[in-house]
Amino acid sequence: MRKKNHQFKNAMSRSQRIINYIFLILVFITMFLPLWNVFVMSTSTALDAGSSGIKLWWKSFSMEGYEFIFKNMKIATPLKNSIIVSVSGTMAQVLLASLAGYVLVQNDIPFKNAITSFIMLTMMIPGDLTLISIYQLNKQLGFLNSYIGLIINGLVSGFCILLMRNYFLSVPYSLAESARIDGSSEFKIFYKIYLPLSGPGLATITFLEFVSKWNSVMIPATITTDSNYFTLPLVLRNLVAADAALSGAPLARDNAIMAAIVITTIPLLLIYVFAQRFLLSGMTLGATKE
Amino acid sequence: MAMQQLWKRIYRYKMVYLMLLPVLAYFIVFSIYPLCLGIANSFMKSKMIGDSEFIGIQNYTGVFNNPVYTQAFSNTLIVGVGTFAVQFLFGLILALSINEIRNKFGKTIIQSVTYLPYMLSWSIVGGLWIKILAPTGMLNGLLNLIIPMRSAVTFMAEPKYARTIMILTSAWKGAGYYAVLLLAAVVSIDQSIYEAAAIDGASRLNQIRSITIPNLVPTMKVIVVLGTTGLLRNFDQIYVMRNSVIDNKIRNLLYLIYNDGIQKFNTGTATAAATLVLIATFVISYIIRKVIKYDQSY
Repeated sequence: MRKKNHQFKNAMSRSQRIINYIFLILVFITMFLPLWNVFVMSTSTALDAGSSGIKLWWKSFSMEGYEFIFKNMKIATPLKNSIIVSVSGTMAQVLLASLAGYVLVQNDIPFKNAITSFIMLTMMIPGDLTLISIYQLNKQLGFLNSYIGLIINGLVSGFCILLMRNYFLSVPYSLAESARIDGSSEFKIFYKIYLPLSGPGLATITFLEFVSKWNSVMIPATITTDSNYFTLPLVLRNLVAADAALSGAPLARDNAIMAAIVITTIPLLLIYVFAQRFLLSGMTLGATKE
Repeated sequence: MAMQQLWKRIYRYKMVYLMLLPVLAYFIVFSIYPLCLGIANSFMKSKMIGDSEFIGIQNYTGVFNNPVYTQAFSNTLIVGVGTFAVQFLFGLILALSINEIRNKFGKTIIQSVTYLPYMLSWSIVGGLWIKILAPTGMLNGLLNLIIPMRSAVTFMAEPKYARTIMILTSAWKGAGYYAVLLLAAVVSIDQSIYEAAAIDGASRLNQIRSITIPNLVPTMKVIVVLGTTGLLRNFDQIYVMRNSVIDNKIRNLLYLIYNDGIQKFNTGTATAAATLVLIATFVISYIIRKVIKYDQSY
């Protein structure tokens, strides 16, 4: 009884609570309706999707948007490209970031501070501002219009390295020391002791990196001109490029564009459902001060 | 002797250094080298072929005297500051509001749905809003319900709405992220402070004002610093949502640099502008850090 009373005092009054709920319901509507609208339009006929109205429920259910986007717009190629680039890029990032993170937790390795400062310095160089030189570099290396170019730009980030270092720091150093005395090689210590004990860290950077690589617009827009190497966001951008909508010569009807949006969103939704816990903790970690 | 010992230690860690090698090589080639190349190119005349020619600061004066760039600079600042302000306020209110929900299921749902757009690419978010704002889109549909007999507006082709649209769609996409950061800080506040305040008869709103918000200041500072780093660097949104009618109102520095350097091969001007943006970013974040006393706090 006492506890109940106490809780009541520590909460809002009834009218404040109602106002709060109304506010949150409005927020929910603003956030959710646009997404729902996309889904409904993507599964409507081109005629219904293109007609005016609120379009929050089906007049006629149809998958022709998806058919069009796969048959006429050949979205399977960018879908494949996006999967190849994001998956291999993420795997490389996880491997390299954890290797580098391992180096930073060695107790008395010479130049540790210098290496840490160097990695932090690279975090301060904004990749988007060196875009022109990145284009030239990729041109020199012959990486324009290639998977390797799409994968290698943004291969490692200082952020992931420092995140892995923070997870590795919680692994007891004595474990590594005793393994070393037993004659284990460094690499063995790394993958037999450190990696298995840093599961949440690995999961966090895997999901964060996958999301950022899947969503990447700038690098593909810079280094690809051949549509065989376009990734999904790039194709989607070209579909919705507003000039076409204004001049009345769109590449695809509204339901097909919405279908492309749904296809691009689904992997992110899946990731979100499975990895919500890690994603949220990773986001918060990134924003704490060192 | 000391030198010898250092070598010995380095030798002992040779395998560990080897693990660092690919990362260091990557950073030197794909991060440091492009930066240096960019700065070097900003002093050179743009040429498709042949040797580069040193022309001093001509590219820089070119940028300053180019009205398109000065326009882009003010577009970037107006949209950037507006976006940050709306995102920050919306995120804060959202975090405080979500924290009052006692129902765990409701809490998860609202948190997920506000956070979800942050994870989506600008291609997705830009695309869906372009369609919602189109003459046949949902917004016109909703307005038709409220005001019958009105004629549909092509929102994306109205320069007067352009900046507002950019700011609000950015806020729609990003506010949930700030809310997550702030909410994480809210739940870590010591609950006994609230209990003490409740015993003293403080209302919930007073508790929020005098306990929650002051306790959020360190997180708010982090958010401000994060926000200023990204202030001048909004490419994706404008790349997806721009069109020729509203370009003058929203075309920003990064898009212009991309357009000049990658599409028009005007590398001199573009790299000069990029270098200026880089310097401006450092200057702005330095000033902001000083103003909010970021480095002295906790």
